[in-house]
Amino acid sequence: MLAEIAHNSITVKWITRERPKIDRIACPWLIKNFVDSQAEFIYAPTDQVLEKAKQLNAIPFDIPGAEYSHYGEECTFDYFIKKHKLTDPSLLQIAGIVRGADTDNFNLAPQAAGLWAISAGLSFNIKNDYEQLETGMKIYDALYSWAKYAQGEKHSWNPNL
Amino acid sequence: MKWITRERPKIDRIACPWLIKRFIDQEAEFIYVPFMDVIEKAKEVNAIPFDVPDVEHTHHNDYCTFDYFIQKYKISDPALKTVAIIVRGADTDRHWLASQCSGLWAISAGLSYNVADDHELLQLGMKIYDALYSWAKHLQKEKHTLQPFENLLLDVFSAYLKTKDGKRKKTPSWAKELKEIIQDHIDTNLSLKEISKGLEISPSYLSREFSKYFEDLSFGEYIRKLRIEKAIELMQVHSYSLTQIAYLTGFSDQSHFTRIFKKNKGQNPSEFRKQMQKGKSGTNG
Repeated sequence: MLAEIAHNSITVKWITRERPKIDRIACPWLIKNFVDSQAEFIYAPTDQVLEKAKQLNAIPFDIPGAEYSHYGEECTFDYFIKKHKLTDPSLLQIAGIVRGADTDNFNLAPQAAGLWAISAGLSFNIKNDYEQLETGMKIYDALYSWAKYAQGEKHSWNPNL
Repeated sequence: MKWITRERPKIDRIACPWLIKRFIDQEAEFIYVPFMDVIEKAKEVNAIPFDVPDVEHTHHNDYCTFDYFIQKYKISDPALKTVAIIVRGADTDRHWLASQCSGLWAISAGLSYNVADDHELLQLGMKIYDALYSWAKHLQKEKHTLQPFENLLLDVFSAYLKTKDGKRKKTPSWAKELKEIIQDHIDTNLSLKEISKGLEISPSYLSREFSKYFEDLSFGEYIRKLRIEKAIELMQVHSYSLTQIAYLTGFSDQSHFTRIFKKNKGQNPSEFRKQMQKGKSGTNG
């Protein structure tokens, strides 16, 4: 269905619960960068997501009852990767970090606790979900670049050392 | 006031401007220049250089420039102290100092890779440190208050408790490891209660096991002893004030430091320091 819609160049809309923190920011980033760069995102109150999805012809995600949601230990981000058969190793590494941060299982990846702290704080500071998504996009872009290019880098404060 | 440092910031050179703007001087301006030009340019534009070698506002021993600003301006906000440990760990490549260090480092390194303009990077960084600060101030949940270092302690203790009794006596390698961990984290908040909760054993049992290998001292006594030893070591560096020393050794404030110090050494820190200096000058070398 997705390919068909994309082919007809109709904008695909995605809808999820408001006040996003991890999964509902990370999934839009994944969709934009790996699935459909034209996608649009809508945040709605939890009890209205499924109804609005029908109304607006949008695909619901990260909400119980939707296809794109948590399965067992895995979060919605994992489901997108599986469904769209994404194999980029850097993306798979980010998936572990996102899963850890999203499911409160910080042992999954050393970066999970920091991603959680920063994301929870952003959500506390930024009350507009779309503004938060904009900042979040930059954070996941950064995580991805780190995973792909900067991972081996050690940090030294003094260039003379 | 203008502040100047070297270009291509990652952690300290973003976190310090954030700290200055939010806690010291809202109007502060920041300049990033190539490393070689920092000192010269600082004179030229009358800016204070920071986070470069051989200036006042920079790394001191294991502490990064962010720590120095907190000490110098005597900022005692506990949430900021949490952020400081995360910054220190990410900046000095000691990610075990706090569980958030690795994530902050990954995001910061990636941002620096993606964003070529240092001031744009600073703008994004301001949002990130605002976020970390809000998390530290309002969102640290009870169950996540376990310091990462305490998690490390937990691992070491768990491994120890699993070893057979017979082996225990000659296996104090865990104790050595534990000692090092404690020494490295002497300025953070350590709680035996949290550690024992994580281990699901009673604090008194943990305490008893602990004292077997730690000079017959309880966990609390041992930590206090190390803190005071560290304080005495720092007193020999004349430039540190007692307030700074209290901060660097993990006491909540100077009066707490003074009280514990006096209880242990029978003298308050300033008397002790004076005598120490007298003792030094009195020797003939």
